[in-house]
Amino acid sequence: MNLSGAIRAIISFLIFVVLHYTLRPLLGWRAPMDFLVLALLLASVRVRPATAAVIGFILGLVSDSLAPDALGAGAIAMTVVGFGASYLKAVFFADNLVLNAFFFFLGKWVFDIIYFVGEQRVHGVELVQQLLLWSPLSAAVTAAVGVLLLFLMRPLLEPSPA
Amino acid sequence: VARAIRSNNRLDLIVLTTCVVLALAARALPNTMRDPMATGMRRTFLAPLVLLQERAEKGRQSLLQADAKQSYLDSLSEGSMKAESLEGENDRLRKLIGLGSRLRWGFIPTEALHGRGVRDETTVILSAGSRAGVTRLSPVIAPEGLVGVVDQVDPTMSHAMLWTHPDFRVSAMSPDGSAFGIAQAHLTGATGGYLLELRGVPFRATLKPGSVIISSGWGGVWPRGIPVGTVLSEIKTTENWARTYLLRPAVNPADIYQVMILTRDRVGKGVDGVWESAAQVQAAAQRIVVSGDSAAKSAALAEAAARKAVLDSMARANAPATGATDSTRPVTTAPPPVRRPAPVDTTRRDTIRRDTATRDTTRRDTIPPPPPSSPRQPGVTR
Repeated sequence: MNLSGAIRAIISFLIFVVLHYTLRPLLGWRAPMDFLVLALLLASVRVRPATAAVIGFILGLVSDSLAPDALGAGAIAMTVVGFGASYLKAVFFADNLVLNAFFFFLGKWVFDIIYFVGEQRVHGVELVQQLLLWSPLSAAVTAAVGVLLLFLMRPLLEPSPA
Repeated sequence: VARAIRSNNRLDLIVLTTCVVLALAARALPNTMRDPMATGMRRTFLAPLVLLQERAEKGRQSLLQADAKQSYLDSLSEGSMKAESLEGENDRLRKLIGLGSRLRWGFIPTEALHGRGVRDETTVILSAGSRAGVTRLSPVIAPEGLVGVVDQVDPTMSHAMLWTHPDFRVSAMSPDGSAFGIAQAHLTGATGGYLLELRGVPFRATLKPGSVIISSGWGGVWPRGIPVGTVLSEIKTTENWARTYLLRPAVNPADIYQVMILTRDRVGKGVDGVWESAAQVQAAAQRIVVSGDSAAKSAALAEAAARKAVLDSMARANAPATGATDSTRPVTTAPPPVRRPAPVDTTRRDTIRRDTATRDTTRRDTIPPPPPSSPRQPGVTR
């Protein structure tokens, strides 16, 4: 990735982070989209697994700082998701929107599973309901929004010509 | 190559393990350490993001509460509209109570029920009848003055002819008794229903606009002293032996809701002093305003004179220093500076000036012009 591509990737990353703290609370849905996971996934496929893990760790701490009781849970989840996404980028690197949507869905769902298990705030039936109902819904919404944003931000996200 | 790839994979795993361990350590931190760490991050590099989220949530709350706020505003608007009418009603009732306390006896408070449109208002139904002591030709009055006269009486209600009725007449005069006439509705013109005219005023008696006209007491129906209206202007008529004046009525027929009916006994005793006291209060208030205005005027004049004196002194003192010469004037030596007495009570004048800034502006024009300058004589001081 050359310098221009890196700058465009950073700008895209920042746009997703800003959207997470503006559009998400503005909509206030019960199954919200997660722009931080989208940002992490889009960054992870462009860097090495170690770097992706570090980005995930920092991003997780950022998200956890607004929920001090869960400090660390988001960091673990983001680290694992970032590392996994970077490790599996060969599978998902195809220019296929359906594959990308599945990639986003899977990333968000895995994040939620690790996060809610690590957070240990919900237990029993409530945890099952969260992981099998609300998390997939949220992952689906995230995937849909991610695909839409990929389509809208194609000029920013496409690799620059050599 | 294989070794390099293996080395990179090992590095990735080491970094991953480190990050996971650090995250687990953060998760395992006690609350006493976790909260300061999270707070520190929120207050430093995350502050802009926190601010963004806060604003977004406020925006969402505003959107959610928009309907509720709109309905609340509608309720407030409705309440304020009601409050305005209630204030007007309270004011009318207060005046009515004031009139009642001045009359003391011999009156029947009642409500006027409007039957037709406002512009066609010539009669009203009164909610008091003969059982309450109302008789035919009883005067109907309001706190502001004359309203009409009862022309039909039922046991429980009565019918009154307002001053706007074409058949209504009342003998009226100026308070000093210099001019008498007959007041009746001014029916000519589109707005004739809301004005009165005073007919048959002797030619020698002139009334100035703004003069109050009251009932004269002649005829036995109306006691003397009830305000009828105020003079607006004289009307030119073909009658050369008498004057006719246009009056602004004391009572607007559209504002008649609560009125009083005077009993025959009260008419016989008169209503002397009932409206005079109110007029006296108004006149006293006007006198206070006028005297305050005079004081301000005199203070402003004194201040202007002092200012002029100071400017004169400064001009004389600066004339030789600037070296300016006027070729049209004779060359004279500069007079020695004159020590003038200090302005008296300048702080007080400043206070007055600040309060009367507008008056000060207008009064600068009214300052008398300075006397014509005479050629200065050497050594002569003023």
